Amino acid sequence: MANIHILKRRINAAKNVSKTTRAMQMIAASKLKKAQNAVLSSRPYVNKISEVIDNLIEKTDKKYTNPYLDNKSGADKTLLLILSPDKGLCGGLITNLVREFTKYQKETPETSYVILGKKLEGQVLHFENEIIASFPFGTTLPSFSAIYPLIKIIEENYNSGKVKNVKILTTEFESLFRQVPKVTNLLPLSKSTLDTEDNTDDFYLFEPNKKELLDSLLKHYFEMSLYQKLIEAYLSEQASRMISMQNATTNANDIIDDLQLEYNKTRQAKITSELLDMTGVPGE
Amino acid sequence: MYLQIITPEKSVFNGEVEEVLAPTLNGQIGILPHHINLVTSLTDGELIIKIKDREKLFGLTGGFLEVKDSQITILADYAAQADEVNTQVAEAAKKRAEEIIKNKADQLPQEDLRQAQAELRRALLDLHIAGSHKKRHNR
Repeated sequence: MANIHILKRRINAAKNVSKTTRAMQMIAASKLKKAQNAVLSSRPYVNKISEVIDNLIEKTDKKYTNPYLDNKSGADKTLLLILSPDKGLCGGLITNLVREFTKYQKETPETSYVILGKKLEGQVLHFENEIIASFPFGTTLPSFSAIYPLIKIIEENYNSGKVKNVKILTTEFESLFRQVPKVTNLLPLSKSTLDTEDNTDDFYLFEPNKKELLDSLLKHYFEMSLYQKLIEAYLSEQASRMISMQNATTNANDIIDDLQLEYNKTRQAKITSELLDMTGVPGE
Repeated sequence: MYLQIITPEKSVFNGEVEEVLAPTLNGQIGILPHHINLVTSLTDGELIIKIKDREKLFGLTGGFLEVKDSQITILADYAAQADEVNTQVAEAAKKRAEEIIKNKADQLPQEDLRQAQAELRRALLDLHIAGSHKKRHNR
């Protein structure tokens, strides 16, 4: 029979764990709410700006070129931007990211990396990959200015023709219970709309002119879509952490219940045997 | 005609208006119902909208404006309604940004400096808008 003191100690330890995970769950839940708001409120802007761009590209002649749309085919290198959390304890999120990264690496060895977030940094370094830059992700909702250093590095490499395209590995948020790591294209921006037919019926006025407008619209669009990826990655991290901490709390409580039962049984057994000793009934 | 003002953070205004005065790169333009379809970039400045007899004043820093079938959409980097501007906060932001620019101009990396300048621009605009809003009301 287990020692009663050891049982007591294990109960206390489990209680502490439960308290900690519960606190982490609460923190993640409040961060999650903020992130959700940020994602939702930036959505109308992105939808509208892509609508305007689609409309504008339709009406621009086919000779228009822009580095954001152009595929510079000189290099055969790809730039992969990885968004990962700084901290662990967020369930399978990091493991899934690493798995996706390993898969990607096998398929496309000619890649330079830019990493945001400490958790995948070591992993990428381990394979002796070319890392251009590495930033911490931070533990708060990324601000819009967080994308400027990223954009600077991306543009340096992309515009100079060192890389032919830019991809991003990030965890997409599907629901509270499901976050999927995915590699998606960032640059060049897809120009499926370029093939659509001109509907010249509605006349448009452009100021200052189409080219300048498109240039700055595309820049805005790129910045916004990158920022959206950033907050979505953050949202996934918090959701994953909240759920895994919720599970951890439930598990800790189960353990406490089991241990408590065993503790009570042991104590009762001890009392019974002491009583038997006192009343003088032969024990054995 | 219907006007929407959207920023990356939130939707600032949604509703029927009668006239819009917007700051574009080539100067202020006025938009009345049945305006021709238009896409243009905006600069920092005041955006005035008229609803019936009332005027509303907004501060904008850059963005785009689209008119399409009497539907106006403004995509602004930042937009604030004049009577919602908190002058004290704007004043403090202005001071902070000025200090950063003055003291650390040589040490700071370009990005931070640009950010401080953008903040200063925004704070100045907020103050300006709040100021002219007051004047209008006192008249």
